[in-house]
Amino acid sequence: MTSTKKKKENQGISRRDFIKGTAAMGAAVAAGSIGFPNVLRGATPPEILIGHIHPLSGPLAYLGNQLKNGTVMAINEINQAGGIKSLGGAKLKLLDADSEGKPDISISGVERLDRAGVVAITGCLQSAVTIVATQVAERHHVPFVVSVAVADKITERGFKYTFRVQPRAAQMAPQTVKFISDVAKQAGEKVKTIAYIHDNTAFGGSLSGLVVQAAPDYGMEVVARVPYSPKSADVSTEVRKVKAAGADIVMASGYFSDGVRVFRAMKGLRVRPKAFVGCGNGAYSDQNFVKELGDMTEYVMDGNYQANPKSPLAKKMFDNYNALYGQKIPPSAVFAYQPIYVIADALERARSTDREAIREALVNTNLKTHVLPQMPIVFDATGQNKNAQIALTQILGGKIKAVWPEQYAEAKLIFPMPS
Amino acid sequence: MKFTYIVQSLLDGLLLGGVYSLVAVGLTLIFGVMKVINFAHGALMMLGMYSTYWAFALLHIDPYASILITIPLLFIVGVCFQKFLINPIIDAPEHNQLLLTLGVSLFLENLVVFLWSPNYRIVRTPYEFVYFYFGDLSISLLRFLAFCIAMLVALVVYLVLTKTDLGKAIRAATEEPRGALLMGINVRRIYWITFGIGAACAGVSGAAITPFFPVYPTVGGIFVITAFMVVVLGGMGSVIGAFVGGLIIGMADSVGGLFFPGAMKHLISFVIFILILLFRPTGLIGGTK
Repeated sequence: MTSTKKKKENQGISRRDFIKGTAAMGAAVAAGSIGFPNVLRGATPPEILIGHIHPLSGPLAYLGNQLKNGTVMAINEINQAGGIKSLGGAKLKLLDADSEGKPDISISGVERLDRAGVVAITGCLQSAVTIVATQVAERHHVPFVVSVAVADKITERGFKYTFRVQPRAAQMAPQTVKFISDVAKQAGEKVKTIAYIHDNTAFGGSLSGLVVQAAPDYGMEVVARVPYSPKSADVSTEVRKVKAAGADIVMASGYFSDGVRVFRAMKGLRVRPKAFVGCGNGAYSDQNFVKELGDMTEYVMDGNYQANPKSPLAKKMFDNYNALYGQKIPPSAVFAYQPIYVIADALERARSTDREAIREALVNTNLKTHVLPQMPIVFDATGQNKNAQIALTQILGGKIKAVWPEQYAEAKLIFPMPS
Repeated sequence: MKFTYIVQSLLDGLLLGGVYSLVAVGLTLIFGVMKVINFAHGALMMLGMYSTYWAFALLHIDPYASILITIPLLFIVGVCFQKFLINPIIDAPEHNQLLLTLGVSLFLENLVVFLWSPNYRIVRTPYEFVYFYFGDLSISLLRFLAFCIAMLVALVVYLVLTKTDLGKAIRAATEEPRGALLMGINVRRIYWITFGIGAACAGVSGAAITPFFPVYPTVGGIFVITAFMVVVLGGMGSVIGAFVGGLIIGMADSVGGLFFPGAMKHLISFVIFILILLFRPTGLIGGTK
């Protein structure tokens, strides 16, 4: 008994000491963080904080870290080029927030970035997470430039602080269908039927729905629409349904891992359409897809948000990314990279780090020099990039090349797929 | 709906169901003996997949041959797991053990992210697209092999449990640990071995699917959720129950995919699950205990 009592007493004392210690330290830190910038302000321009929120851990960590790479690279490029000139060459500083791929976690992430004093936030890769994160940003009046998230709803809620550079689903799906029809016309091929296999989340579901709507405008019909759960271990049954449909074009949407499994199963079961065309496919536009699966990926196409290979800025971006991370920049990273430049452009014009001023500047964005296959970046009343356009890519000789529309093409496409 | 579609689905489901069976056998064995719900089972399966992948990528060992490496490797991992982590808290309340295994699972998954990046990795063999055709039906060689390996290992585990002295000792330690201890059985050692066997089962299941399944840190989750269902369906702790349950769930999911879209494909298996819980609450082969 006595020994436990003694132990408790000891603990009590040490806890009190501990609290004293932390309080003192907290006060010191607080004093430091308030006092320090005041001292520095005269000497060098203060850093401008920009937040990003992506899934840096969890099942989507692979993609999330690619997006982070794109963001970090853009920040470093801007800083090396002299920072924000209208603000005395102020440097940008990136703050991380990990969404873990979960909408609920993103709430605290955005709030933390807000408290840290970021001037703008970019994120989140997943539509479901972005819907929540932008809502929190709206409440705190923080400009939010979406990196990757396709759901239409994100810019349809009348938010004042949400902006999106990436093509939304309602731009992406009809454009893909149109491009397929253009490509077929050019090749003199008749394309009438589409079989669509897609993940059953909001991502694949909304895209496939829009394709079903758009197809008749181009004389096509979606004869089979096969959703699958990315979480289920087996997709054989679903792929057999696609095979049974025997369509001219097999379209597919999904994330990387399930995209790979579906594609492998299609090859294994000898599904042989005139072309495999992804729509925002997480696998078909990723160089790792080619690296891991090799020859069988040849001629696979994807209608996806892409960089414009002919833009000189994009060439610099490709080189830098390759030098830093040893691979071709994946499209998701491109769309994490571009928003930082959009924010930097707004900062230049706003000549201020005030969030309202930055929002105002974002509204008036008219960015002509960018890395995307489109006209200038201009936001419409909803905050959506009005001119956003996808490009069709094709895997040729083991490289993912932009092949359509022609003014952005870096290689000549091959259609139909040779058997 | 053509009849052959259904037969084909059943066949596809049966083959993958074999893998579910083996994952579940490991899980149910660990639960049956130690009464520990092993949430790290998926992570162990993932380690088995990485062991196959690295043997293939670095040493160019055929993914099926490297199972001989994976088995002892995962066995040792399992023994260490039991010896250093589970044993110290074996008498703790169940929810504490649950937190421990969950923690280990998170640790392992993130360790792999840290060491080998979250990249998806794929093992490609020259025979990956070999299919056997029987009229309208087709069977993938890789899935057939995965099924055979799972069956073989499950059979060996069953024989060890029923026919050997070690098996007798394991069963004795399950039913009456104190009695077994009095009879001179080193129960602690039995626990190590059992966890080792369970972990090896998870590892082999992982190795068996690696030739047709991408390898990434959180891959275990896909299989292990199903495996938990299989274990409950078959009767907690029943090896035969887990085995049969795996095949049933595999086929039910596959046929479900034929009639229902997306995640609804699990409808049939969940209906079976609920019916069994209603009418045989102890599970398919849980007996009357």
